[in-house]
Amino acid sequence: MDTWFIIAQLLGLITIGFEFTSYQIKDKTKYFLVTGIGSFFWMAMFVAIGISTGMDTQFSLIVAAVYSTIRNLVFFGIFKKNTAQSKELGLNFLLVMIVIAIVAGTATVLNAPEQVRWLHIIGLVVALGFVIGQYLPGVHYVRIAVVFYAVVVLLTQTPINILYGDFRWNIMGILIEAAKIISVVVFYIRYSTQPKTPQLVFAKP
Amino acid sequence: MYQVISDGGCDFTKEEAKKHNIEVVPFYITFEEEHLREGIDITREDYFKRLLADKGMFPKTAQPSPQDYIDVMKPHLEAGKDLIVLTISSKLSGSYNSATLAAGMLSEDFPNRAIKIIDTLSGSVGQGLILREILRMQSANYNLQKTVSYAEKILKTTRVYFTLDTVEYLKRGGRIGPTTALVGGILGLRPILQLEEGQISQLDSVRGKKNALKMIREGIVAALQDEKQNINLSIGHVLSEDDAVNFKSSTEESLGMEISTPITEVGAAIGTHAGPGALAFAYCKKFETIGDAA
Repeated sequence: MDTWFIIAQLLGLITIGFEFTSYQIKDKTKYFLVTGIGSFFWMAMFVAIGISTGMDTQFSLIVAAVYSTIRNLVFFGIFKKNTAQSKELGLNFLLVMIVIAIVAGTATVLNAPEQVRWLHIIGLVVALGFVIGQYLPGVHYVRIAVVFYAVVVLLTQTPINILYGDFRWNIMGILIEAAKIISVVVFYIRYSTQPKTPQLVFAKP
Repeated sequence: MYQVISDGGCDFTKEEAKKHNIEVVPFYITFEEEHLREGIDITREDYFKRLLADKGMFPKTAQPSPQDYIDVMKPHLEAGKDLIVLTISSKLSGSYNSATLAAGMLSEDFPNRAIKIIDTLSGSVGQGLILREILRMQSANYNLQKTVSYAEKILKTTRVYFTLDTVEYLKRGGRIGPTTALVGGILGLRPILQLEEGQISQLDSVRGKKNALKMIREGIVAALQDEKQNINLSIGHVLSEDDAVNFKSSTEESLGMEISTPITEVGAAIGTHAGPGALAFAYCKKFETIGDAA
């Protein structure tokens, strides 16, 4: 095991920390900041694995992680500014992100072997649902969407590899997605035990 | 002895103004070539029906001129009365400037009379609540100085919120961009607006009308539960009286208090941006609970 592979595992652990924390946060601005930092370490993890095992296998994952990092950090800036202009810019950015995801997802679906194409189609739909869910108001949409998204990613860690005759498991990838699901479960356990606070907060007179 | 005057931003009806013996200086509404005085040349209901009928239209509202204020103020000064003049937020309209200019001109002719102009930093149901508190203080024989002093404290406790039926009118008024309007429309988002420091800003958006009203009620209860004996609350609407009546009774039930302020028809100054279907609510502290304002 070389140094870069060990660094990749450490970066993966940091990613888990940020991803887990992000789904405990109700405030959208803070959520985007924390998940954005998580995405950055996620990207760094793929880069480190690429240095260790070869960039060819990691390139598409690095691109996906860069896409997530930019998206989350741009959304953080937009929510932080919270003006009509920044929201308009944010929605235009979201539409561009959706178009990129559709184009990239469609290419993946078309290039996938026929027997696993259905899984990639589900992956594309769920990924789009997640991107939109992140932007929707309230605390629930993003959490429901991320569970579906993480489940699909978890599924693609095993059956595709098995179908391809590759039985290696991406342990860190599985842990990162599992952390998101566990975080959502923990959030709802906390949510159900906390005194109910209104989602809309009006100023005291 | 003092006379209370307000610009049309208070959204009082003619009957209410008459009942409380206040003078209302109306805003102007401009439909292309037509200049109409709100509440005099055109009723609020007719105005919003025209707004609803013509999808491409965004009429302009204009503040009363200094002369409009002079015409209303002068007879009372001549009758030996001092004046309290309430205006909509100076950040939303030039009404405060017009009133101040008029007061400046009149003070030369009436140097012994006091004219106090109050920028409410509010509007519609919020301004209406401040006005009602001033009227209550007048009934309680508070003198002009004391009334103004309390009113300036009350306006700092006044909060105004709106929930809109559609983002269409925010788009027509240039408050949101076309993409935000398109996506908001597709997702059925109802923006919650607030009047904060005299300006309209967006507090949040909520999906679906039923959900929005439920969340607003929960928010009101959380904000007011501990203070409900100390506040007055007011509810308004733009062409959605049934919704306002239902919202009022459900809010009364949730809060466990009666809302004594009559339901208000929101006027053009704010209603043009909110659009038909909007619901508004405001609250402020009662003057008795303010403490020593002198």
